[in-house]
Amino acid sequence: NVHILPIYENYHGGYVVIRLALAGHKQANRPFYRIVAAYNKRARDGKYLEQLGSYDPLPNIYNEKLVSFNFDRIKYWIGCGAHPTKPVAKLLGLAGFFPLHPMTITEAERRRAQTELIATEDVLQEGQKEAEV
Amino acid sequence: MFQVIGGRSVQVTRLLAPRRAVLVEAVRGRKSRTDPVAKSKEGRIKVPPPVDPREMVVLKERFAEYQLITRALRLEFKEEVLRKKYEEETGSLAEERARQEAEEHCALMAFNNQENLRMLEVRTLRVQKEKEEAERKQVEASVQREQQQQEFIKEKEKDILKLQEDAKNFITLENLDRRIEDALDNPKNYNFAIDKEGRVVKQTMLQ
Repeated sequence: NVHILPIYENYHGGYVVIRLALAGHKQANRPFYRIVAAYNKRARDGKYLEQLGSYDPLPNIYNEKLVSFNFDRIKYWIGCGAHPTKPVAKLLGLAGFFPLHPMTITEAERRRAQTELIATEDVLQEGQKEAEV
Repeated sequence: MFQVIGGRSVQVTRLLAPRRAVLVEAVRGRKSRTDPVAKSKEGRIKVPPPVDPREMVVLKERFAEYQLITRALRLEFKEEVLRKKYEEETGSLAEERARQEAEEHCALMAFNNQENLRMLEVRTLRVQKEKEEAERKQVEASVQREQQQQEFIKEKEKDILKLQEDAKNFITLENLDRRIEDALDNPKNYNFAIDKEGRVVKQTMLQ
């Protein structure tokens, strides 16, 4: 529904995305993302239409990663025809606004399988050591 | 290296297409077509990551469900946005707002007209006063000029009288001889002495 879009620029075949943009605090090794509605062709950190939240990828002193969303405006933009990117969709799924993304579930299952494999290997190794001894 | 194709240029009719959310194509990255392969990548054969068919089936189901739900949500939000826009433009509150704005406009226009009338009156008074002032000043100026002219004439008349009186003592061709004789007979001495206390002494040595 292109007719609802605000007419800031004339892009041919362009569309709006909701994506993460690096906030650019000019500090090395300390990223901070803004959840932003922007045109697809714009630079990642360039001019955006509206900021819809933030995401801090590094955990804080209580071991939490902080995320914020402006659900009202996100609803508006998705109603105007914006597409969220994969990480934004994953975050929204974890927040409960969207259904849980399939890849989060599959990656969690894979990790659980991996940890179980390692645990069983350790148990087997211990068993072998006891048998040797 | 891989660029995302999105929008209306996608024709999704390939049966064996990967059931991804977006379609990708190969695109030249850092190296141009004439650059040689790196030494560490000489015998490399690119192998895609191994796919577990059971996991793939489960994943396809999950993705189908996810896309269904997201599409439904998108349509819901679209409807909400349209409804809000409709309410804003042609709702019950909008009419009241329009009516109130019209009322305010009328009131302000009436106020403006009244102000204009008042200012008109004030302006006419002011203009009249200024005209009277100008006339008065003009009259005064003309009177002044007249006075000055009269004074000038008087001064000139005085000068003329003075000159006439002086003319009686002028030396003419007829008086010339007589005046010369008078001057020679009455020598006038303009020398005098004066001291610091102002006492004048006219007695001098005459030759």
